[in-house]
Amino acid sequence: MIDTLFAGLIHGSAYALVAVGMSLIFGVTNVANFAQGSIVAAGMMVAWWLGGPLGLPIIVVIPVVALVCGIIGLLMNIGVIAPLEGRKPIAALLATIGIGQILDNGLQLIFGPQTRSFPEILPTHNLQAFGVRFGTSDIVMIIVAIISMLALWAFLKFGKAGQAIRATSQDPDAARQMGIPVASIRTLSFVIGAVLAGIAGIFVGLFNGNINPMNGGTIGMTAFVAATIGGLGSIPGAVVGGLALGLVEAVGVRAFGDGAHDLITFGALILILILRPQGLFGGAHDATSEPMTGTFLGATRPIELPRWANWVLAVLLLATPFFFNDYLSGIGIQATIYAIAAVGLTLISGSAGQTILGMAGPLAIGAYASALLVGTLHWPFLLALVASGVIAAVISTVLTFPVWKLSGHYVAIATIGLGAVTVAIIRLWEPLTRGSLGITGISYPNVFGAVLNTQQEMYLLNAVVLLVALWIVTRIRKSHVGHVFEAIGADQEAAEALSIRSGSYKALAYAIAALLGGLAGSLMAHEYTYIDPTMFNSTMSMTILTIIVLGGMNAPLGAVIGSIVLIGAPELLRPISDARILIYGLLLVIIILFRPQGLFAKKG
Amino acid sequence: MLEEVSKRGIMAHITRSTRANKILKTAAAALASAGLLTSLTACGLGGDSASQAQGDTVNIGVIYPKTGQYAEYGKMFQQGFDLAVEQVNAQGGVGGKKLGLKYFDTQSDAKQDAAVAPKIASDGSIIAVVGDYASPASAAASPTFQQAGLVHYGFNNSAPTFTDTGDHVWTPQIGQDVYQKANADIVAKTAKKIAVVYIENDWGKQAYEYFKQEAEKNGTQIVYESSYLADSTDLSPILIPARDAKPDAVVDIGYGPDGALVLNTLRDDLGYQGAFFGGQETKEFLELAGKNAEGSIITGSFSATGTKDKKAQEFVKEFKDKYGNNPGNFEVTAYQAIIDLAHAANKTEPTREGIQKALQTATDFPLYQGNGGTFKFNQQTRRADNIEPILLIVKNGKFQQYEG
Repeated sequence: MIDTLFAGLIHGSAYALVAVGMSLIFGVTNVANFAQGSIVAAGMMVAWWLGGPLGLPIIVVIPVVALVCGIIGLLMNIGVIAPLEGRKPIAALLATIGIGQILDNGLQLIFGPQTRSFPEILPTHNLQAFGVRFGTSDIVMIIVAIISMLALWAFLKFGKAGQAIRATSQDPDAARQMGIPVASIRTLSFVIGAVLAGIAGIFVGLFNGNINPMNGGTIGMTAFVAATIGGLGSIPGAVVGGLALGLVEAVGVRAFGDGAHDLITFGALILILILRPQGLFGGAHDATSEPMTGTFLGATRPIELPRWANWVLAVLLLATPFFFNDYLSGIGIQATIYAIAAVGLTLISGSAGQTILGMAGPLAIGAYASALLVGTLHWPFLLALVASGVIAAVISTVLTFPVWKLSGHYVAIATIGLGAVTVAIIRLWEPLTRGSLGITGISYPNVFGAVLNTQQEMYLLNAVVLLVALWIVTRIRKSHVGHVFEAIGADQEAAEALSIRSGSYKALAYAIAALLGGLAGSLMAHEYTYIDPTMFNSTMSMTILTIIVLGGMNAPLGAVIGSIVLIGAPELLRPISDARILIYGLLLVIIILFRPQGLFAKKG
Repeated sequence: MLEEVSKRGIMAHITRSTRANKILKTAAAALASAGLLTSLTACGLGGDSASQAQGDTVNIGVIYPKTGQYAEYGKMFQQGFDLAVEQVNAQGGVGGKKLGLKYFDTQSDAKQDAAVAPKIASDGSIIAVVGDYASPASAAASPTFQQAGLVHYGFNNSAPTFTDTGDHVWTPQIGQDVYQKANADIVAKTAKKIAVVYIENDWGKQAYEYFKQEAEKNGTQIVYESSYLADSTDLSPILIPARDAKPDAVVDIGYGPDGALVLNTLRDDLGYQGAFFGGQETKEFLELAGKNAEGSIITGSFSATGTKDKKAQEFVKEFKDKYGNNPGNFEVTAYQAIIDLAHAANKTEPTREGIQKALQTATDFPLYQGNGGTFKFNQQTRRADNIEPILLIVKNGKFQQYEG
């Protein structure tokens, strides 16, 4: 057992090193930097190139990697993050997702897609303890993690620039009045964070041994979990969180097998959020800032179309299946599924101001429920469709029940965990779900005896469901309860002062979103005719959230426009296949920069 | 009072007139959209009838991962495809027509497969489809091809349920049942007690089930088992107990990068010296595992240096001339997929119907894998019937055929 713990500790220090940079940026700029993992990957690949093909020693590798990543951080902040300052941090968060995609795919274009072994610029297996071999590299990694923690702490505590950083993070306006150049201070912390990420990349590369330019996503997500466990914004917390996560994973995986890895990682995240929301080291005050809530600009309004225009659009949508060819209808199927999944978010994320990062969960529940109801219990499709929406809403509500007492961004983070946990449970519950094998041969949608199996027929079905979803959401938005959602989103404290129980209303709004997500999942299952747990990943959750951000958080119609752009764009960009996903990330960043309120909304 | 009433009247009038206006506008818009509809010659919900092939080129559609996490496999596939098409055309093409390839990058992602499938199905110049890399992605596209009467030739899809979608879905892949039987049998020759780890996905799960059945039959004792996720970076928590169970051999059922990770962790971190069965016949695996790979045994279907089949030896030579390295299992299956389909087209005619008919009737598809010769399809399962797996062992940093 002690060997397992020891191995976990080493792995944990790799998490810790990445988490420190993440926590620094979060603490100072209030931006949850989802590109941090990709910067780590950039450092890792540059170090591979310098240490491997070029054969340079570590003493050269470290400064060059620091320089390259520092420049990436600088460009990222000046070009994208700084212009977004003053807007709700959700804008910056989504921009970092776009930047992450640009970096990941850029790295793959530059360095090629293959997995390769990281050069041994430090010995990796020259020492032994507790039956586990490790290397100078691991020792140096732990020392670097601790030194960077202490150095950052001293810098923030005693350094002039460090004090300015802290002042900026506590109150940017007051800091500005004191003559602190807030913009440069933010840039500085981004650069420091990026340099740390690059150096972390060297040691993560040494630790992992096998590296791939696309590793950034996983590295970033685990580091984010580690930073949250430690307490977002707390530097010592990041180190402790990283080590703790490494240990928990090692022990959990040893006991339950690596198939349960996700369940352990994200289960630990949710447990800590429920038991100690501010994390192990976070001060209680940290929990009140809400960087991941709210819409881009509080005062944006959806573009209101006159009633006749809505009717025309509805008629047009229903008419398109009749003259679209197979290919266009195929894209239409995808776009409508995602629009149905996203439109509910205008209530919970748009009106009630609660960002949801785990929509893949309800989709997965709906898809599996429908596949099993039709396949095993031989329910008619339409009944199963409705039932899977209800089941998705009920299960999601039960799963998220403990989350609503949390405040601010911790709810958003918890939804990441819940999405992952839902899928992990589906994967492990083999007798019911067939686990990783997936369910094949799901029957096509059968509506009153007619099997819908052409692209056009399925598209028409989706269009009808989408119109119903839009109608429901629009009605709710105009109703009393819709206004309550908006009150919570506009000012949660004021709403609570009026004795509105914001937690319960958020749960209600989320249940509606989950219901629509379940419908989308059911349609997906019967139109793909195949589902397995890997389809419902974090990329899906991010895509759904991005759809309404692009379209306009407050505009149900925006969900449709957003999903046409997001699902259609990769297809439109098909001719430039190499750089396709890279350009896609670029588009995302550009739209956020130049039309922050969303495509289908105007500034208030 | 009176003023009040007249004001109300005026208000009512205004409201009424705007409402009338709205109705007018709605009607106008409806008319306009109806006009638009008719001018677009509505074709109903029946789906496209594929445009007829024009000209003297017919194409094979390729769905494959050019980018994304599986891009490495896409690269290997493409080398096999390109070489095969070159050769087919050098020998006169298919039924007098030139054979072409139309590549579609899907990242082997089910969502993108499902989205691009209709585009392929409605392209009349495409007479068959090959790919994708992963079975879930392939399976998302199959129903569309099935409906379009287009053969979906999932040459890399060994999932046992893959061909269930319909009679146009075929695969020449050796089933995992056959592979894993051979795997368990060779393991049983050297080990009584084994620890097994396998990748947690549809393929790994199924493969392990078959392996376990055969191992039980052989009386091999499995002293430790665990799956692992494809993106896990530290496998020591499962490999420490695997090592501590003191097995005669460790068996890994997985792909290349993760196989190398398992092997490196065992040898470098945990000091495990015993036998190892696993890995993948790719340059990637050999480079990643380096010296540790020495002596690893896997089941495969092809060995560039060991094959005794004449046409396969020729293929190896031509491949090496073109790309500078020996082809592995991924390259040869991709190459053979195109050769199979060209063979089918030449047997009947280079059309969708022709390919399907030939797969149902021809019994002499040239076989480059296994022991060479020819193969035919089992018409019940639509899988290749008589391809024998072979054993491969790493010697001097290269995979060589192993006689057991």
